[in-house]
Amino acid sequence: MDKDLNTSSKRKLNCNDESKCFELLESILDGEESSGSKEILDEKLAKCQPCFEHYHLEKVIREVLKSKCTKHMVPAELKDSIRQKIQEIK
Amino acid sequence: MSEVQRKKYSDKEKNSIFDHEFMPHIDSMYNFAFRLTFDEDDAKDLVQDTYLKAYRFINSFEKGTNAKAWLFRILKNSFINEYRKKSKQPSKVDYQEVETYYNSDNVDYNMTSDLRVDAVKDMLGDEISNALNSLAVDFRTVIILCDLEGFTYEEMAKILDIPIGTVRSRLHRARNLLKDKLRSYAENMGYDTEED
Repeated sequence: MDKDLNTSSKRKLNCNDESKCFELLESILDGEESSGSKEILDEKLAKCQPCFEHYHLEKVIREVLKSKCTKHMVPAELKDSIRQKIQEIK
Repeated sequence: MSEVQRKKYSDKEKNSIFDHEFMPHIDSMYNFAFRLTFDEDDAKDLVQDTYLKAYRFINSFEKGTNAKAWLFRILKNSFINEYRKKSKQPSKVDYQEVETYYNSDNVDYNMTSDLRVDAVKDMLGDEISNALNSLAVDFRTVIILCDLEGFTYEEMAKILDIPIGTVRSRLHRARNLLKDKLRSYAENMGYDTEED
């Protein structure tokens, strides 16, 4: 992460419209916002401390979910069992 | 999912769709089934039933379209209609809480969180997984679909038969509940979760 993005001194400590901002940030993280969202995001993260914190917490939660909730191995016999059952109903 | 015109596939086409469009999703399907049922045998049955239904109704699937979402929708419906009733797992859902949460699509996004990024990063896989598993099934489901499987809001709306606005608000609530869980783990780990 860019170092000067981590310094909170330039950011305002209160967000004027937290509800709307957080909703937007979450949509961006979910890949739902596209037009101009990069610019809006950069501006919010640079200027607003609550938005900055919320964004990074939400981001890390998505990352740990994806990396740590690993897939359970499919039991080896399941595929064969499905194929066999399909043959029976054909 | 939108109704498509029924096809009349030949046996060869059916087998090709089944092998090339349905079977590649079996890992994701099993993972979803396991996280819904918490039981290996139930998960196997659920996945097998889903694939049998998919084969039986293959003529209502349009070749080349979103097979993964189509299969997930069948699995979710099978789970609700059949498995939830006979589930070995006692229901952990606090219906009062769920009811209150579901009453409106308006979500309070103002909840300030004192959970720290570093605390989340340091958590073990088991803690993250247990936190996810502790959520009521409807909340768990949206997080699995969005974060583990990467479905869009629109695809989730179709899989779950709910409006996009409800997907958005349910997801937000689910993540808040997850954060509450993670916060309590963080406190146990000795992280200071209070504001400076």
